[in-house]
Order: sequence, then structure tokens, then C-alpha cells
Amino acid sequence: MIMEIVGELLKLTVLAGLTIAGILVILIWKKGLATKVTYLRFVIQVVAMVAVFYLFTYPIWQLIVLIVILVMPIVLGRFFCGWLCPFALYMDAITLIRKAFKVRHRNLPDKLNKFLHNFRYVLLLFFLIVPFILILIDPPPSLDSATLMALLFAGPFRPLGVLLGPVIPLIVPWVGPLEIGGLYFSYPYVQEVIFYSNGVLSEIFVTITALIFLGLTFVGSFFVRRVWCRFCPTGSSIAILNRLKGFKWAPVLHLEKDEEKCTKCGICKRVCPVQVTEVYEQKGGKIMTSMCMLCFRCVEMCPYEDCLKVNLGGKTVFKSRNWLEPSEVE
Amino acid sequence: MKNQSEEKKYMPEISQKEIDELRNAIKATSQKIIAENIERMKKTDKNRPEAMQYFDEIANFFGTREKEIRAAKENGKKVIGYMCLFAPTELILAADAIPVRVNSGWYDASKLGDRVVPVEVCPMVRSTIGAKMIGLSPYLELSDALISVLTCDGMTKLGEILSDYTPVWTMTLPRVKDTTQSLRLWSEEIKAVKGQIEALTGNKIKQKQLKSAIELTQKATKAFRRLQELRKGAPVIMGRDAMLVNQTYMWDDIKRWTEKTEALCDELEKRVRQKIWACPPDTPRVMVTGTPMIWPDNWKVPTLIEEANPQGVLVADELCSSERLLYDPVGVDEWSMKDMLNAIGERYLMASTCSCFTSEDGNEDRINWLLNKIKEWNIQGVIYYVVRGCMLYAMEYTRVKKVLDRMNVPVYYLDTEYTREDVGQMKTRVEAFLEMLTARIDI
Repeated sequence: MIMEIVGELLKLTVLAGLTIAGILVILIWKKGLATKVTYLRFVIQVVAMVAVFYLFTYPIWQLIVLIVILVMPIVLGRFFCGWLCPFALYMDAITLIRKAFKVRHRNLPDKLNKFLHNFRYVLLLFFLIVPFILILIDPPPSLDSATLMALLFAGPFRPLGVLLGPVIPLIVPWVGPLEIGGLYFSYPYVQEVIFYSNGVLSEIFVTITALIFLGLTFVGSFFVRRVWCRFCPTGSSIAILNRLKGFKWAPVLHLEKDEEKCTKCGICKRVCPVQVTEVYEQKGGKIMTSMCMLCFRCVEMCPYEDCLKVNLGGKTVFKSRNWLEPSEVE
Repeated sequence: MKNQSEEKKYMPEISQKEIDELRNAIKATSQKIIAENIERMKKTDKNRPEAMQYFDEIANFFGTREKEIRAAKENGKKVIGYMCLFAPTELILAADAIPVRVNSGWYDASKLGDRVVPVEVCPMVRSTIGAKMIGLSPYLELSDALISVLTCDGMTKLGEILSDYTPVWTMTLPRVKDTTQSLRLWSEEIKAVKGQIEALTGNKIKQKQLKSAIELTQKATKAFRRLQELRKGAPVIMGRDAMLVNQTYMWDDIKRWTEKTEALCDELEKRVRQKIWACPPDTPRVMVTGTPMIWPDNWKVPTLIEEANPQGVLVADELCSSERLLYDPVGVDEWSMKDMLNAIGERYLMASTCSCFTSEDGNEDRINWLLNKIKEWNIQGVIYYVVRGCMLYAMEYTRVKKVLDRMNVPVYYLDTEYTREDVGQMKTRVEAFLEMLTARIDI
């Protein structure tokens, strides 16, 4: 009993420590000591992943994380996708490996990219329907209504799993599908898929699904940056408010562009990991697109002072600097 | 490939004696003019920054830099000249060759150009032809090859005419900037010119060299921007001096140029702190835009503005011979070969505000540049400088005037030629404009 409390306390201390580390990083960055947002984002992603791991050690927190993910976008847009999502971290890590191999990334055709952006809603629907299909093709042995309901809403491919899938960290605090040295590893969607293999058909189905996900992230993101983010169903819930015309006031965090300072040099378009073209194409003002993950790579790379700005509730928190460092005397 | 004895397509046959006579005469006048221009710049700003001394030296066409390039050439280095700033300097540097811009500003040489092309043609083109005819410009003579970018009509034919003497590589510039097909064409052109540079120099452009070349120009951009930022406040440097600094980039060693410009900025920053101004802080702040002004002869307009009574000071410009040279850096996302080439291509094509581009929004990039400069640099009046025959800039005047009128910024259309004869009447015109600006400030 005492040991358990000590363990809990330890976990909380680690969590608090990580939070403080994150805040420190932000403070250092604000003072301009660290200038590269990309590295900063990497640190925050790792911190967020570990934080999620600890949060998931309490079953109740899963729901809270989900609620946070669903509510946060109303004001913060897809900030979660860009900065916190652990799943994105794997893809960014693969990108780093790719860079080490000196392989160039590929770009998807703009039309395909736009199509995938809308395809995510189909995907979301698909994941929500999958449990029903699986029950139809491979009925569980006992078909009393309670088990059915449990399978539909709490079993594999449950709605919660669909939305929370990408958020689950690589190492899970519960019994995961793969065990190496006492640590359980999991992978979004795959974990749920593996549990659900009570028939041949559904087993084939889930294996294929799992392989597609694994391939998409590990092979796909080696060549295409953030490939999953382009049609992530979790992102759809996040993106939807930015798409609705009446809700333009809602996001507090957004990019803003100064038309006169822009020379249309195209850097913002080229560096964007999810190939958002609106930042380049739009003439000026607020940039409201549900494709943007607010990773601020464009802001970091824009070479024109004050041209791109990140506004948080009307206050500029980050802006494009002349990354060639200007004169100190104004 | 090209044989000197072959029949020339455009150039007239002139006897060697006449060539020598003309060259010596024009060279002598030119040297006098260079010295005189520098002398006048010193007189305008009595307390001229000491770091300017270096640039005065480099500004001499027939001086140290010529000797340096000649020596480098003897050591096997190649010199590649270019006529428009669209030529990818980074690729030339990466192949260990020397980039020089060879546009000519000699008034007398433009008269010689009349023998090849009619007077209606842009005088800068005529002057470059004339300079080549008599072998006047040392940089043009030392170039092993020329990169001719097909921008305006004059430039398009200029490359063709000069190919009588030197191998000329043409780069087709799409006239529309931001469509996929024009980007594709331009990146193919960049790749092609890369191959040509590699073939000429015998050096393969590898990832490492290209990266360091890009970093070199990025550092130059940094120094360049620092200088322009310093001109935002009260005039700490005369516009002509800054223009000369910018212009020497076209033929100087880029690394040394960067160091010297940084040194100049250090000195200027000290002066800002001590509040030592180059001219009274309430001097009307003028900006020039339009046709490029090339050192040494075509220094007429900036000299007139800054020596006029009442005096004006140039704090910014939108000239491809000055501020547009280096304003945009090459922004590389990942340092892979393909991405670097992409970045170079986009930097030259998309960020440019040249009037040879057309778009539905009326070359809005240029308008935005002007508006940004006017606001940030606190410009009180704009001089729209056009030489006769510069069709594209002349045609865009109405567009610019409409926008600037809306902003209540006076703009003055100053058209001239490559000649010293109209200095008197231009002085009257410039002074009237500056007087009007002063009156506006007083109100």
C-alpha cells in the first residue's frame, strides 16, 4: 500500500518535472536563446509523449485526454497535431533518419493532398463502422446483447480507440501486444486490431489493416513528410471547426500574414510538412485552413521580418524573423 | 565553338587601330569620371564613413579587382559573367568560378552601340554592346562565358549580339511567376545552366560545395540587409554610398565584400549611437525605382538628388542594380542537392519583382515591395526613373502612380538617356520635386 503511494508520487514528480522542463524550454525560446522552432518542437513532442504515458497509467485519464483533444481545437486549432501528438513524433523521427540518409522527401500532388484531406472523414466513418462489420462477418460465440454492446463500444475499434489511437504512446502502461524486456509496446490502431482476432476472416482483415498502418507510417513517412497527418481521423475532429464559416472567431491561435512584406518567394510552401498552400496563396490576413497543423515551420523559415506572425488571442507570440539576424540598432 | 575569325552576326568590323583609340579615349574619361564621382560623394558627406575607402577602391573598374581576377584566371579559375540578377550566383560560386555582372553604365559606349542597334533600344543594352565592341569593360572581357537571362526585350537580344564574341548561355525566364509549369521550366533551366557551368569549369558541383556557396551568399544577404536596416532611421549614410556598396557586390569577391560591409555597418552603428548623421535628419527621404543605374557613368540621378538644393537623401530603392540584388536569401529546407537547386530556382524566380513579369494582380509583388519600403523606411517621395527605351518600367508607371497617389506619396517620373547633356534641365526638375517635398514636410 505504502509502496503504491510512493510509486504514484514518483510518477507525479516525473510528470511535474517534465512539465517544468517544457515551460523552461518555452521561456528559453521566448528569450531568443534557442532560435530553431523545429528542435524545440521535437523536445515538446517527446515531453508530451511521456506525459501521455503517465496520464494513461490512470484509466480514467484516457477519457480526459480525449476530451482535451476534442475541446482544445475549438480555440487552438490543430496545435495538438503539430506539437503534441506522439504519433507525429514517430514520423518526425523517421524524417530525421531520412535526412541522415540524405534522401529527399517526395511531395504528394496538390490535388491528391486536398483529396486526402477530405478523405479523412470517410476514414473516420469507416473506423466507426468497422466493429459492426466485424461482428457481422465473424459473430462472437456468445451473442447476448451485453457482450455485443461491450464489443461495440469498449472492444477493439471502439469509437474512443479511433479518436485516441494516434495519441497512445509507443510504450504503454498496460499489457500491450508486444513485450520487450518487461516494457509493452503498442502502435496506434494495431494494438486494437490484434486483440480482435476471433475468426479467420476478421483476422485477415485486421492483419491487413495493421500492415497498412505500419507501412503507411514507416515506409510512407520515410518518403513523404507527416504522411499520416494528411488524413488522420483524429485530425478531422480537430479540423472541423476551422472549416465551418461561422466559427472563424473561435480559434484563438492562428497564423497571420502581412501582405506587403511578402515577396511570394515560396519558401513557406516548400518547407511545409503537410504541403499547405494557403499560406503562400492567400494575400494576407488570418490564415484559416484545417490543413495547417500550426507547426510554425513556415514562420521559422520565412526570411522577411514580421511577414508571418503567430497570434494567440490577439497577441503575437512568435513571428518570422529575418533569420539572417538584423542589425541591433533600430 | 565560336571562332573569332568567323563572320560576325551583328558586330561591325572595326579596325584594331580604331578600337584602341576609342578604348583609350573612353577609358581615360571613365577613370576621370570614377574619380570625380567619388570626389563628389566625399564632398556631399564631409564625414564619410572610413570603411567606404575600401569600396571606393573596388569601384574603380581599372584597378585592384581587375588585377585580382586576371591573376585568378591565370591560376585556372573561370569567370562567368551575367547580365540579369536571375543568374544563379550560388552555382557559379560552387563550381569555384568567379561571378561578375557585366551590365555597362558608360555613356560614351552607348553611342558606339548605335552602330549595331537603333537608338530606340535601351541605352544600357547599347552601352554594353559598345563596351564589348571596343573591349572597354574589364569584367566583360575577362568573362569566359555569359549567362543571358531572357528578361526584357533588350536583354533577350543582347545575349544574341554578344555571342559574336563570347559563348552565351541563355536561360528562358517564364513571364508568369507562380504557376507549376513556369516553375518546372525554370528549374530545368537551372539544371541546364548547372551542367554548362560544370562543363566549362571542369568542377562537378557537389552537395558540400553548393551548401557552402549558399551559406556564403546568405551571409552576404545578412550584411546587406543590415546595411539597409540602418538606413531606416535618420540618414547615417548617404544613399549614393550605400548604392555603391550594393553595386560593388556585382564584381567583388563575395566573402571579402561581406566582411567589409559588416565592418561598415559596425562603424555606422557607432555613428547612430553618437548621433552623427550624414545629412540633417529632416532632409526629404527619397526612394528611386525603375531602370537600373549602373556605376560609373550612370550615377547622374543619385548625384542630382543628393547634391540638389534643397538636398534630398536616398534611403531606399527598388533597382535591380542595388537593393534587389541581395534582398532575398536562398531558403533551404533540407540540404539535399535537389532541394538546394529548388531553393535557388525559387529564390531567383519567385521572389523577384522585375517588371518583366506579368500577372493578373498587376505585378503586385513590386507594388508590395514599394509599399513596404515606403512605410518601413519612411519615404516621403518616390522618383520613378526610366531611361528611354525601357519599355516595361515605363509601362508600369501608371500602375505604381495610382497606388502611390492613394497613399498620398508624391511620385515623379524622370525619364532620361545615357547622356550628360540633360543634366542641367534634370537638375531643375529634381530640385522642383525636392522643394515640393520640403514644403510638404514643413506643413
